Amino acid sequence: MTEIFSSLYAQSDAQVPPGSSALGFGPGKPPPPPPQSAVPMTVQIPHQLGDEGPCLRKPGAMNEPFYLLRELPAGNELTGSTNLITHYNLEHSYNKFCGKKVKEKLSNFLPELPGMIDSPGSQDGSSLRSLIEKPPVCSNSFTPLTGAMLTGFRLHTGPLPEQYRLMHIQPPKKKSKHKHRHHRPQDPLPPETPSDSDHKKKKKKRDDDPDRKKKKKDKKKKKNRHSPDHPGVPGSQPSSSSSLR
Amino acid sequence: MAEKFDNLEEHLEKFVENIRQLGIIVSDFQPSSQTGLNQKLNFMITGLQDIDKCRQQLHDINVPLEAFEYIDQGRNPQLYTKECLERALAKNEQVKGKIDTMMKFKSLLISELTKVFPEEMAKYKAIHGDDPPS
Repeated sequence: MTEIFSSLYAQSDAQVPPGSSALGFGPGKPPPPPPQSAVPMTVQIPHQLGDEGPCLRKPGAMNEPFYLLRELPAGNELTGSTNLITHYNLEHSYNKFCGKKVKEKLSNFLPELPGMIDSPGSQDGSSLRSLIEKPPVCSNSFTPLTGAMLTGFRLHTGPLPEQYRLMHIQPPKKKSKHKHRHHRPQDPLPPETPSDSDHKKKKKKRDDDPDRKKKKKDKKKKKNRHSPDHPGVPGSQPSSSSSLR
Repeated sequence: MAEKFDNLEEHLEKFVENIRQLGIIVSDFQPSSQTGLNQKLNFMITGLQDIDKCRQQLHDINVPLEAFEYIDQGRNPQLYTKECLERALAKNEQVKGKIDTMMKFKSLLISELTKVFPEEMAKYKAIHGDDPPS
């Protein structure tokens, strides 16, 4: 192998610098005399190197002064050395998503969506992947329900059992003190209430019924504690009681 | 472009609200609620029809399946966008480093070869032109 390269780049003895050994072209073996003619070399590769086929013996390459020298590939202006974020004008998006902290939960992305959406979909069979892998078999058209079909939706009166009441439970949300909340219809409700909530729907804010009741009770307790009529208030100041009168 | 998304979003919000109200009716059902229930059921079907009509406007929109993984895990899908940007930037920096290193190696190799084989390198430069300094 080394002899072939040295024959390709054959030079006179005087021209061979001592550093050639550092380049791996043979440790000190005298090179053969240079060829007489200045014709481009057409060295035939011995079969020991393996016949790699026409891909190394292109007609264009054969005419070059250096064997296997090919044309450089067409330069692409857009390479990895370019900042692709600025090239595709994604600086705003990058600052928006990577500069600020993006909240982890799905409910932060879809705050208006009811139900417990932060739990994994695989738990209750509501995953999108299962929908894609096993799409439900259904017809192509949507036909309204007729009267006969609606008879199947006659329900028993009364509240649902506890095990089925989880659907409408909202995840606990942080309440800001400064905002005025417009309450959405609460559960359970009489049938007229959903129609009345159309005006409140525009605000799209909701509360949990048990949470509201608890907070109302807490507020009432606090008010009763601070009132002068409450017997269990130690050290109540007369100035505060006079302000209430 | 944003209009078709707004249209779909509006229909989806109405549909979800209808379903939510349906759940409220069912949670404590009364006999007088039957007509309202039937109405909500038919609203649900018309809502699905409206959403299906929106599909034609959005036939060219592609959503990566990896974003669905985030949704199925209960995570914010914007995290997927964030991680895509971060990975793109990291890969960009990595490739830029490789390109810079290869450019330096090329210039160093040419300079060293020129010292050892000046005539051959002169021919090489005549063919490929002078390489720009790294």
